[in-house]
Amino acid sequence: MHLNSAHERLLRGEGGDARQLAMQILAKVGDAVGARSLVPIKSAHVQADYSGLHNSGIELFERFAASDGKFGVPTTVNPASIDMDSWESFGVPAEFTRKQIRLCEAYYRLGGIRCWTCVPYQVCNFPKAGETVAWAEPSSVVFANSIIGCRTNKAMAGLDLASAILGLTPKFGMLLEEERVARVAFVAPPGRFSDLDYRSLGYLIGKIAGSRVPALEGTPKNATSDDLKHLGAAAASAGPLAMIHYVGITDGSNSLEKAAEGEKIERVDVTRSDLEVVQGELNQTEETPDLVALGAPHLSVSELGSLARLLEGRKVKRGIKFCSYTSPQAHEMATRAGIRADIEAAGGTLSQGTDADVSPLKAMGFHVVLTNSALLAETLMADGTVKVRYSSLADIVGEVSA
Amino acid sequence: MSSKIFKCHVLVGGNASGEGLFCRQAFTFDRAVDTRTGVVADARSEIAGASIKGKVLFYREGKGSTAGSSWLVEALRLGNGPGAVVTEYLDLAAVVGSVMGGILYRRSIPVLSGIDAGIFATAKVGAIASVKGDSVKVVLAG
Repeated sequence: MHLNSAHERLLRGEGGDARQLAMQILAKVGDAVGARSLVPIKSAHVQADYSGLHNSGIELFERFAASDGKFGVPTTVNPASIDMDSWESFGVPAEFTRKQIRLCEAYYRLGGIRCWTCVPYQVCNFPKAGETVAWAEPSSVVFANSIIGCRTNKAMAGLDLASAILGLTPKFGMLLEEERVARVAFVAPPGRFSDLDYRSLGYLIGKIAGSRVPALEGTPKNATSDDLKHLGAAAASAGPLAMIHYVGITDGSNSLEKAAEGEKIERVDVTRSDLEVVQGELNQTEETPDLVALGAPHLSVSELGSLARLLEGRKVKRGIKFCSYTSPQAHEMATRAGIRADIEAAGGTLSQGTDADVSPLKAMGFHVVLTNSALLAETLMADGTVKVRYSSLADIVGEVSA
Repeated sequence: MSSKIFKCHVLVGGNASGEGLFCRQAFTFDRAVDTRTGVVADARSEIAGASIKGKVLFYREGKGSTAGSSWLVEALRLGNGPGAVVTEYLDLAAVVGSVMGGILYRRSIPVLSGIDAGIFATAKVGAIASVKGDSVKVVLAG
């Protein structure tokens, strides 16, 4: 990869230790993936959860912070592994909490925005179409590329921090127009879509598309950006994709032909029974849940409002923790609007700045998790420490409340 | 014993040899590998229960979380990482994980892409594999 003279000086350490380390990472990753150059980014989104970063991640964060590193562009952060306000009530082990707090402190020293959310684009960072960014968290990446029209790769842990420090990232993959062309087309089944249908469809697309960029035709007209947030999250959990061309929605993809740039591509007609198969795959048990986890990615304030209406006049059954995960910002708005009080009156809780997919659920005492998030189901099945059930929100509310 | 040599694309350079582990499914290190042992924890995986420690790990493509790289770094730090990763399609998690393992702990591993997908049909678990530059040699039974 070509480095200009300013980059070379940083690599020699003339910009200090933190920027030297960041440049070493970008230069090595850039060389590995065959990038031609480094390009500026407008914002970064990084991960700082202890469950994902481990002790080596703390070491990296603290090396950057101890050498006076500072983020060179506005930088947001994914959920932490604990809710800072109520980790004790959740029964998180103290040692685990101390490690998470070290990551938080290093992140603050680097100058990061304290949003602790997997949906920065819904609460504190609003990029415009065409901007190059370096975002971690695949669901944000899919949303950025597909809905906002940004250019971003999946900034893997390590690459995310280095890009944030320097405000630069190697130009490859989804930053190249020719890599963004659709190579396989999916057609959604007609009819009404439940919350679960969007997620199951996303999961199916992620699995079947593999390393090909997919296009999706027939997205229901009434799909909200929240629906597409969950569809993209499910897709990215099941496969390597970083973008979906939503025909009629994604910038420049008014038709399948446009998305595929005129090339003839494989077409997959998705049926309702295909979605049922996904539902089966993500259901491990029939047992009664001890945790209902709604989130992954974080619920928006409007999703919390819908949930409050769904719970009206109902009460969550004893022995079940009914938890919605959201950003500190949506939590604040839900509190002001009385939505939080309504959810709590029904026996539900809100958890902010963390999410179930980065929480130590087993250590917190949970065994069976019921969710409508395909991303969460997929993540929990990867290590099998808790069992998972996957149902629509309406079915969940019907089952666990009366 | 016959062996087959595949020419691959070098992402992170180096040499390694060991038993091969072959996984056709999309793979992530995130949660699916126990970093304290190297054992594949995901019960749905074709290589569930096997240890990746010191192995030449073959899979078609990556998936999922951007924490995949940090799980690999942690496995490398603890001495439980694979000896090499060989994929059909570029997996950025393996690339970044190996680069970070090298920078932080001098434990980078070779990472290659472009392996012929046929390998997943022909190679058996435990087949000895070696990586040298852009050559990947796999000893096939029979």
